[in-house]
Amino acid sequence: MDLDKKLEILADSAKYDASCASSGSDRGGAGGTGAAHMSGVCHSWAADGRCISLLKILMTNECVYDCAYCINRRSNDSPKAILTPDEIAGLTFEFYKRNYIEGLFLSSGITVSPDRTMELMLEAVRKLREQFRFNGYVHMKVIPGADQSLIDQAGLWADRVSVNIELPSDKSLRLLAPGKTKATVLTPMSRLADRISASKDERRSIKSSPAYAPAGQSTQLIIGATPETDREIIKLSEALYDKMRLKRVYYSAFVPIMKDSRLPVLLDPPLLREHRLYQADWLLRFYGFTADELLDEKHPTLDLSFDPKTVWAINNLHLFPLEVNKAPYEELLRVPGIGVTSAKRILRARRAGPLSLDDLKKLGVVMKRAVYFVTAGGKYAGLKKESEEAIKLKLLEHKNPNGQLDLFGEKALMKEGLAGTVSGQL
Amino acid sequence: MRTYLYDGNFEGFLTALSLALDSADSCAIAKEGAEEAGLFSEFVNSGTDPLRAAAARDLVERRGSAESWQNVRYAFLSEVPGSETGILEYVKLLAAKGPGAENMLADDRVKKVHALAGKVGGETHRFMGFVRFKELADKTLYSKIEPDHNILALLVPHFRARLGTFNWVIHDARRNNAALYFEGRLVYAPLDSARLLEDAKEAEVRELWRNFFKTVAIKERINSKLQRQNVPLKYRKNLTEFE
Repeated sequence: MDLDKKLEILADSAKYDASCASSGSDRGGAGGTGAAHMSGVCHSWAADGRCISLLKILMTNECVYDCAYCINRRSNDSPKAILTPDEIAGLTFEFYKRNYIEGLFLSSGITVSPDRTMELMLEAVRKLREQFRFNGYVHMKVIPGADQSLIDQAGLWADRVSVNIELPSDKSLRLLAPGKTKATVLTPMSRLADRISASKDERRSIKSSPAYAPAGQSTQLIIGATPETDREIIKLSEALYDKMRLKRVYYSAFVPIMKDSRLPVLLDPPLLREHRLYQADWLLRFYGFTADELLDEKHPTLDLSFDPKTVWAINNLHLFPLEVNKAPYEELLRVPGIGVTSAKRILRARRAGPLSLDDLKKLGVVMKRAVYFVTAGGKYAGLKKESEEAIKLKLLEHKNPNGQLDLFGEKALMKEGLAGTVSGQL
Repeated sequence: MRTYLYDGNFEGFLTALSLALDSADSCAIAKEGAEEAGLFSEFVNSGTDPLRAAAARDLVERRGSAESWQNVRYAFLSEVPGSETGILEYVKLLAAKGPGAENMLADDRVKKVHALAGKVGGETHRFMGFVRFKELADKTLYSKIEPDHNILALLVPHFRARLGTFNWVIHDARRNNAALYFEGRLVYAPLDSARLLEDAKEAEVRELWRNFFKTVAIKERINSKLQRQNVPLKYRKNLTEFE
């Protein structure tokens, strides 16, 4: 099989992994080729609008497992291919020097055994680093079940490491991924977490000690293949950020590529739900929200018509309106229509003088949402009698100026800038 | 109204800026031959005066900050019509109010220069991704770009840091200017067209990349509007995967 065909098969099988980030590392230095960029660089965007920043491939799509949701399951008789360590390193280098990519994202099906698979992957990345003296970005998947000493090596060569949880509960894993349990996934994850934080501590006192996965660890959850609620998913993410200190949790709307009696019949991947989960995830990481504030046992599902911050604000009207000339940063962040950038701008601009409602617009605040929740110099331009229902109706009008409901289609998604949430870049 | 004309270079612009700042009347600054210079203006050729240019820079850094100076440089590189007079108004404000003026984000004079500088910084970051090299027969990497703004000099340090072991050329075909990096040395030179002999392997690698690019799109998620937002059509002609 020629290289072109192999690459096609192995890129095709790797594309359902949502992770694309190339951020969080500033590797580089004298000699050698390449460097990583702290904020990451997107090089292109595919026809599905997702960013391409890394050569995202599997080493092989052969697999000894038979996970129901996975395109690479053993019982899928699609053509199989395997790339040698030399081919992987060479291809990465050729693409990199033409500036097609920021680096390599290497995952794999399980060939022979987890140990053997991990050994071959490590060999490819080691070649890239040592033979090609490559200083670009490498994201390496860790194979659950591989020996601890092999897992440990991954972080020495890679900028980012990840183990995909895929299914958000042990029950779903047992049902759809025979051979995997919560423990087989979480054990390597917590091992990596320990190594990463130990290396960080060490580098604080001894700068020259080697970095261990400087861009940290991430994981992915598949959305909509199993019955977990949004609350369960967001609670899980919160625990992963707090306890495992993960850099990112990716959410991947389930694309029914395989037919299986254990899988739901979906017409389309649940993209809007995925989008709402990314928004909720952003609120956890950058806006100081907790999972319990966003969803409780009575309301375990994210509202598809409104973003989670707006839903939270409407349910907490007693905290509003907020005076933008006085409110602290943490509270400004909780106003619908004010993001991290505009909140920082408000803080800065009000040092130069008091702000009016008109000024807010110039600072990039989305006034059509924020207007119900803020005052500026005591002036309020929202509704005379604010009530949950009235504000909801007004916000819906803005979304659908023609009165047509298109809450689930592409249009609603586009308006809210899906781009920002799935790109993985900040 | 008086309009100070400059030759298109940054030093010439700073000379014009210094002259305009010294003038008591309201003035404009424009590039020689620029159409927006206006019919009823009194035109003054500023020439290039290194002392005046240095004084203008000193004023910006002293009354503003290092950030203000970067904003002036970046806004100038935007090459957007009217940006020069926009910078003049911004520097006047800095001169009058001092460093605090930089915080007046809702003021139109500050907002305009910040927005221009933001566009230039944004396009520079975009092109860190969008530069595409081809390998030529002599192993030089060659890239043609046609950015909206004059970002070549801002891009170069990024590629110097990562492709320092290669020889390369980044050619801004819109401005007939090129950055040539050869055996560790960098020069800028005018370049209007380049005759290129590709390396024998080049077509093969290009085909691999194009095929990869096509393959990674998930067909159940096709979203060409989102793709257009991220890769505007104007950039596509120099992108290998869209050629």
